[in-house]
Amino acid sequence: MRKSGRALRTRSEARLSGKGKLMPIRAVPRKTYSNGVIFFLAPAVIVLLAVGIFPLLFAVWNSMHEFILSRARIYALHGQPFLWFQNYLGLVNDAGFRESLFRTFVFLLINLPIQLVLGLLIALLLHKVGHEWLKNICRVSLVIPLATTLAVVGLMGRLMFNSSFGVVNYAVATVISLFHSIGPLLQGHFQVLHGFWRHVVPSNMIDWLGNPNLAFATVSIMDCWQWTPFCALVLLSSLTLVPPEIEEAAKLETDRWWQVLWRVQLPFMLPGITAILILRTADILKMFDVVYTMTQGGPGNATDLISVYVQRVGFRQVDQGVASAQAIVLLIITIILSRIYIRYFYREI
Amino acid sequence: MIFLDRPGYNAIIKLLPDFEKRTGIKIKYQIVPYENTREKEELDFSSNGELTVALVDLVWIGEFAEAGWIVPFEEIKKKYPDIIDPNFDINDFIPLILNAFGTWQGKVYGPPFDNYSGLLYYNKDMLKEAGFDKPPETWDELINTYAPKLTKNSKYAFALQSRRGETQSCDSFMRFLWPWGGSLLDAKFHSNLGNPKSQEGLNFRQSLEKYMPPGIVDYDHSDAVNALAQGNVAMITEWSAFYSTLVDPKSSKIVDKLGVAPEPKGPDGRKPALGGFSLAVASQANDKQKAAAWLFIQWATGKEIGKQYVEAGGISGRQSTYKDPALLAKYPFIQPMLDSWQQGVPEYRPRFSEWSKLTDIIAEWGTKMMLNQVSVKQGSDEIGTRTEAVLKDAGYYDGKKPLAQ
Repeated sequence: MRKSGRALRTRSEARLSGKGKLMPIRAVPRKTYSNGVIFFLAPAVIVLLAVGIFPLLFAVWNSMHEFILSRARIYALHGQPFLWFQNYLGLVNDAGFRESLFRTFVFLLINLPIQLVLGLLIALLLHKVGHEWLKNICRVSLVIPLATTLAVVGLMGRLMFNSSFGVVNYAVATVISLFHSIGPLLQGHFQVLHGFWRHVVPSNMIDWLGNPNLAFATVSIMDCWQWTPFCALVLLSSLTLVPPEIEEAAKLETDRWWQVLWRVQLPFMLPGITAILILRTADILKMFDVVYTMTQGGPGNATDLISVYVQRVGFRQVDQGVASAQAIVLLIITIILSRIYIRYFYREI
Repeated sequence: MIFLDRPGYNAIIKLLPDFEKRTGIKIKYQIVPYENTREKEELDFSSNGELTVALVDLVWIGEFAEAGWIVPFEEIKKKYPDIIDPNFDINDFIPLILNAFGTWQGKVYGPPFDNYSGLLYYNKDMLKEAGFDKPPETWDELINTYAPKLTKNSKYAFALQSRRGETQSCDSFMRFLWPWGGSLLDAKFHSNLGNPKSQEGLNFRQSLEKYMPPGIVDYDHSDAVNALAQGNVAMITEWSAFYSTLVDPKSSKIVDKLGVAPEPKGPDGRKPALGGFSLAVASQANDKQKAAAWLFIQWATGKEIGKQYVEAGGISGRQSTYKDPALLAKYPFIQPMLDSWQQGVPEYRPRFSEWSKLTDIIAEWGTKMMLNQVSVKQGSDEIGTRTEAVLKDAGYYDGKKPLAQ
């Protein structure tokens, strides 16, 4: 019961107030539905059960059994040994699992902020008034990376960043030769610049996918290329939610754009940002195609993200039990992170 | 059944209509990338799917045989005595490859179908320019005499496909154990990588790295073949199957400069890379399908189509096929390949079911070694302890499983 004594007006408010006892709410007469509604709902529910719930429960079942495919004929029918939580406990001692989980979080912490900030910049630019047709072209072209199949993105990356005939190294070489041709104009500065450049890149052939750190960066670049537009589009649509009169009033008050952004536009973007955080976190935790086609987790284990690891356990070592346990752990992590995001970022206006 | 997108399979697809017309059997096949083949077959076999012919890579034979997924040849002979071609003659297959690709613990499961040996491919012009009129005979010669002269102006003497995956473990890591007298496991299945001979081989690989293009740890087969085909490197050691890529003007600039030789010898002899696939009847098929499957296998690896198969781009595993001197003259890779098959080791890669775990361990630590993230010694120790843990779990050390590889 709130101290003000204000009556709770709606059911949802009653639920939200949480700790106190609920005031008895006069029951709203329940709307009755005809039986027909079941038939309309059934297909969706059945499909969801078949492709979502059942596999999930099956994975949970798997994760508690020893289930190695190559021993399938050795087990009696449905006689896989039951192990309780042994598969899960095994994960604690699995250094490879921990390392790739850690690597995945590093990947997340580097890429998500970059994609958010770049996406925000693009959204703000597209939100400005003027240049309508240019903006339309931009908006359409933003969809292209999103429409590209993940495996194709990986293969493209593999070709573009190929050290001996990739287009990226070609561009680098072109820039360098350009520098050489304008070098004399820069006089002394050129030597310094050139020296610095040679220190960073010893030869024109940058070994993008063969060097562990660069390979990690390259996979990140491809991920940013594909998903920054997604952030931009979501944030752009959030920006259009800001009532124009409020935005105009704010712009009359101050000519500092970041004040407008921080105090007026950002609150409207929070739901969008939360959605991006949840979706991108889940995506990166299950990011497989790009890494698999680009590096297979190599060189060494520089790009061995968690999904690639789980796939290897599940389908190369054919240990479905352990792989299912790993997948369930990932699911739990995703759920926890989503709850945290909603708790700390999500605000409704 | 499952086919790969490789010359041997395209060749048999070309010849298929003839078989279908003669027998009335319809062969349904699906083309799958190699990396997904095992996964696909295992899922199919463990769920009683629809495959009737198993395509067995030599490293899968132990696993497939132990899981009971494939039928031994003896059983087929007993069950369908009247469909066995009297001309089939299993002893006509080259003994090493029949033993390696199709046999597990003394039992023949199926005849070798798609057969490879590692070969040394080289660019004759580049070697000539550097003053050599023949390819190196030994690895020692390659690194000390050939490599320094061939590495200059962004051209490199050698490329070794080393990308993480089976490429690293089979084509890169194992290739530098056997010729030096080293091996992955000793007779009791403990790690033999600490052995000075194994260490010598692996250290040799490290020192050869400076004659290879940068980023070699990311080279897959296609990258290495391309590097030779574009004239950027002078020599590669690759599977015999890539011959057709290297002589195709569409993909190669060195068609008329290509030389082929057996792999160089190490201190302990040649022992080149060995790989290939056999065909076997799947246990899950019904009786009628089993008979049909055997008829197909018998035909596809048979004597009659041996020559046609080679001409269509395949590599037959039969000695009788290569008795024809015209064929040897037309395909210069055949002689070095036959030479290689005289001296290979069947357990070049262990063929037990645990290999699928070992290959991942080797792929990870082998690439780390080449990147100098760990020393050869450290890397070998890591592979050793992890390998022994896997083999202990499998029951090799307490006598639960026979020591077969």
